[in-house]
Amino acid sequence: MASQILPLELIDRCIGSRIWVIMKGDREFTGTLLGFDDFVNMVLEDVTEFETTPQGRKKTQLNQTLLNGNNICMLIPGSNGPDS
Amino acid sequence: MDESTPPPPPAELSPPPVPSTVPSGSPTDFLKGVVGKRVVVRLTSGVDYRGVLSCLDGYMNIALEQTEEHVNGVVTNRYGDAFIRGNNVLYISAAEAI
Amino acid sequence: MDTSSAIQEPFDLIRLSLSERVFVKLRGDRELSGILHAYDGHMNLILSDVEETILIVDQADGAGEGQPTVNMAKRKMDMLFVRGDGVILVSPPSR
Repeated sequence: MASQILPLELIDRCIGSRIWVIMKGDREFTGTLLGFDDFVNMVLEDVTEFETTPQGRKKTQLNQTLLNGNNICMLIPGSNGPDS
Repeated sequence: MDESTPPPPPAELSPPPVPSTVPSGSPTDFLKGVVGKRVVVRLTSGVDYRGVLSCLDGYMNIALEQTEEHVNGVVTNRYGDAFIRGNNVLYISAAEAI
Repeated sequence: MDTSSAIQEPFDLIRLSLSERVFVKLRGDRELSGILHAYDGHMNLILSDVEETILIVDQADGAGEGQPTVNMAKRKMDMLFVRGDGVILVSPPSR
């Protein structure tokens, strides 16, 4: 029997909440999830980008942002990211 | 980089979901809102392109006007118009309120 | 000058650059300047009278903070096919 809830249904329930997005590379984002599509391209608001480099972690604040789903690895609902 | 796939370009972004009566904050709605506005396009390489978004398609191919290329916060090039191939795009961010 | 009105989709920008000299940025720190003769939906390109610029960045030994030395190599090609998946950016001549 198929699982009772699909993974993307869970993400759908996060719309309007904070979410932590971990990319395939050394990059992470947190923001308020406004929406997403079948490719898990995501629209986020009040975004912080975290970039881990040999020189340390670099933070960038962003306005409303469309994040390409191509490089997304993991999503952590309800989390405000690495600093929380 | 991550995508050295043969000819077929990356899978198309989802077709605009059947528009519900209320704007849903979906990627399609976001894109409708930012066309004609100043945006930051960051590539997976970390290079930024700042300019006015003239249009884009379902592959996230982008046409930008008044484009500045930023590498590590330094302007490295300026282009009147620029076409950016969508597979390189990490994100498109509004540089002004939308 | 008002190109925006003529551009409905990104590929229009490329279409309007046919027979013009374009600047192309490719993966692997390569840049091309050439006359655009043809393109397709993959962004495969045919360019003529091409000058290629390759940036060779040599990180001074070790992964230190030292200034990397950047060497620039240039070469010319009469006619060139560019595979679309390597393309990052295409910029038409400024109008």
